[in-house]
Amino acid sequence: MNEKTRPPARGEAAPTTGASDSWSSKPEVDGKGPATLPGLGLRGTLLFLWRQLTSMQTALILLMLLAIAAVPGSLYPQRSVNPALTEQFLEENGRWGEILDALGFFEVFSSPWFSAIYLLLFISLIGCIVPRVGVHLRQLRAKPPRTPSRLTRFAGYTRTELPGADADALLERAHKALRRSRYRTEVREEKSSRSVSAERGLLRETGNLAFHIAMVGVLVCLAGGQMTSYRGQITIIEEQGFSNSLTQYDSFESGAWFDESQMPPFRFTLEDFRATYVQPGESGNVGEPRSFEADVLVTTPGQEQRSQTLQVNKPLHVDGASMYLLGNGYAPEVTVTDPQGTVVAEGPIITVPLGDMGYSSQLVIKAPDAQPEQTAVVGFFLPTGTIDDQGPRSLYPDALDPQLALTVHQGDLGLDSGVPQNAYEVDVSTLTPVTGEDGNPVLMRLYPGQEFELPDGTTVSFDGLRRYAAFDIAHDPFERWVLVSALIAVGGLILSLFVPRRRVWVRVRSTADGAVLEVAGLARSDDPMLEEDVRALATTLQAAQDGPRDSAHRPQPDRPSQAPQDPSEGSAQ
Amino acid sequence: MINEQLAELSNLSLVVAIVLYVLALFGFSADLASISQKRSDQRLAAQEAKDVDRVLHGAGVGAGGGITSGAEDAGTTPASSAAGGSAGTGERTPGTMTAQKFAFLLAGAGTLLHVLGVVARAAATQRVPWANMYEFATTSTALVMVAFLLFSIKRVELRTLGTFVVGPVLLVLLLAQTFWIVPAAALTPSLQNSHWLIIHIGIAIIATALSILGAVLAGLQLVQARHERALVELAEAGGEHPEHWGRAGHVLDRLPSSTVLESLSFRIHSLAFVCWTFTLIFGAIWAREAWGRFWGWDPKEVWTFIIWVIYAAYLHARATGGFRGTRAAWLALAGFVAVVFNYTIVNTVINGLHSYSGL
Repeated sequence: MNEKTRPPARGEAAPTTGASDSWSSKPEVDGKGPATLPGLGLRGTLLFLWRQLTSMQTALILLMLLAIAAVPGSLYPQRSVNPALTEQFLEENGRWGEILDALGFFEVFSSPWFSAIYLLLFISLIGCIVPRVGVHLRQLRAKPPRTPSRLTRFAGYTRTELPGADADALLERAHKALRRSRYRTEVREEKSSRSVSAERGLLRETGNLAFHIAMVGVLVCLAGGQMTSYRGQITIIEEQGFSNSLTQYDSFESGAWFDESQMPPFRFTLEDFRATYVQPGESGNVGEPRSFEADVLVTTPGQEQRSQTLQVNKPLHVDGASMYLLGNGYAPEVTVTDPQGTVVAEGPIITVPLGDMGYSSQLVIKAPDAQPEQTAVVGFFLPTGTIDDQGPRSLYPDALDPQLALTVHQGDLGLDSGVPQNAYEVDVSTLTPVTGEDGNPVLMRLYPGQEFELPDGTTVSFDGLRRYAAFDIAHDPFERWVLVSALIAVGGLILSLFVPRRRVWVRVRSTADGAVLEVAGLARSDDPMLEEDVRALATTLQAAQDGPRDSAHRPQPDRPSQAPQDPSEGSAQ
Repeated sequence: MINEQLAELSNLSLVVAIVLYVLALFGFSADLASISQKRSDQRLAAQEAKDVDRVLHGAGVGAGGGITSGAEDAGTTPASSAAGGSAGTGERTPGTMTAQKFAFLLAGAGTLLHVLGVVARAAATQRVPWANMYEFATTSTALVMVAFLLFSIKRVELRTLGTFVVGPVLLVLLLAQTFWIVPAAALTPSLQNSHWLIIHIGIAIIATALSILGAVLAGLQLVQARHERALVELAEAGGEHPEHWGRAGHVLDRLPSSTVLESLSFRIHSLAFVCWTFTLIFGAIWAREAWGRFWGWDPKEVWTFIIWVIYAAYLHARATGGFRGTRAAWLALAGFVAVVFNYTIVNTVINGLHSYSGL
């Protein structure tokens, strides 16, 4: 990025053929050689390192390093993306996993080496654009440079003799034409001629700088978002409600500067959840989901209650937070009564889908108050259930034939041990299953409305079925600024890539019988249209000259216009 | 929901399009072969003519050099010079069909059917035709072909590149037709209710098509640059008619110079970079609407980021002394490798949030 602003090495055309040549293009070591380096002193060394860091080659290498460093982040499971998979990988790979973990391969994007690369890249970028902004501002105020004395070696050079033409009028027309085409122009008086020097395309560099500054903006806003954003997960059963406060979340994470009092105080009730799936006979894979819909009734302070249907890709937005439908499952209503007739568990139970097509879900009920012993009911909820030689399983994700397949275990549930437990799991290995007369554990199979009494007097009833939905609630105050920065960046990028930067000169010299017109241009970036435009300008000026002189005069093919003297020269690049 | 007849029609026209592309590929290759044949003949003719000239006028005739110009400017009869001059453009005499014209027409017909197949698929499913790998592949290759045909209607000399465009397109189509094909189906919930499916994937398809075209040009540029260097060295070593890489070399003589290829490659890669930038931004907006965060280092996000960084490096390399030209072209190709990886391995092997489409 520095390449263009750096003053050219005096007296030598630096043969930059690679990074190792960067020495020869440094003015300060010019003519003295690397031997002077030890004498640079601290300040000199720092200056040298700074120049190295902000050079284009370094930026290039850092960009490539950034690309390479991101690769392991996609090949190894990342803790921030999928913690369960990361733990599984660590378990399966033992020592190797530990080494990778120590090197940060499971947190690539927050690892010191990845951070070092992008921070260096951004420092290099800032070091590069700050001086360029100054140069560019000066350039914006400066006038177009002097017209070169010999135009013949420039692109699209055209020389025309126009007998009877008025030199000053011709130049004025050229000036106007260039201004109309949005060139910055400057009329110059020369010894025996006058010329217009025109320049266009400073927007190219403006766009370039805007792109790079906006990239810094993106980074700053990302960091701001890291510090202030929050995100939490909740699970809500149909007909149940939620009010936005920290205690209500299943899990919650937030940035260091997050302020709990900033959480918007909204409430909602999940009224209904619907899912549809591909049915047999329809095109597509049977059981594949087709739609998920959650009807919620939302209350925000100072506003009327409103109902809204959330879908995937259709979140709920309230001031200061957004809520996304990300998961769902079944919550069968189960009542457990202990042998003494006391109801020890009642109500809808959130079950955890096992991930099969039929949405078989694991159910765990803990009844620590049951007498004479603490009781755990474990098993499966099957939306379209069957029990065959493969065991209990579900054939279809929708609740066509819902049933429960359960066993009951008794013993100490360990809830008093003080160790936090997962509500959706229980370790049955320390418990005793309730057995039947044959000595085998009793497997209950329950349909809605049924009740089952175990030999010891415990009863379990399947009272009804509800669904639940899982939502993420998130807010990032810097989000919109990331978007704004990114859009500025892409706007700048388009300008910097597609606006041609060029200079065009028109020179008119009075002769005894008229004027001589010379037109030429110089491309300062990729500019395939330059020659065409320059020649078109020349033609326009000639034609305009022909017009007033004799309107009936037809254009003559053998008008004394000279072809460029060396046609190959203009296009040589 | 799904119109099975239209889905049938889509499959059929894609298969026929593939057949036409195979024939077009034969045509383009035959054209290249005939160019190299003609080059050899011409060279001989030129050599003879020059020998004659030498005898007649001494050594006063410019050698014409066999490096860039197709038609010899001196000594040949009008008939042979007409034949020589038309070798590249395929318009020998009106009424005759050259291999290239034949191939160009077949490619045009194939592209029509290809586009018809894509449109029929869209009509059959009543949605945009890019909801899975198969549809993404067929749509993006259709775009590559349309872009190539549009470019080469205006610039006839680009038609010689046909082999290098139809070849990769055919490869992708065959892969799609063999491994990725899935029946026409409605959208999964994660792709429903979002205009970002049209915008984000649409721009990604354009970006991919541009990356394919850019990679073809960058690859040819590298080969051509090497060929040109070798010719210069041979010429310096005193060879009057430098020969390099035999017949393949003659084909390269007919293709645009490495400078022209480089500037074309740069323009296409600039567009591709802008499209990739939009793909990232629109993807982030959609991710925010769907998953509640605009960036989460999902494997697909990571690899699109990698593509973007590599192409950014390419654009910087092009503005850096010592990297312009060949080294920059290698970076462009590295970017294309990342595009291919992102499309194949990330879709099929690595598990991530973007793996919703079956394939």
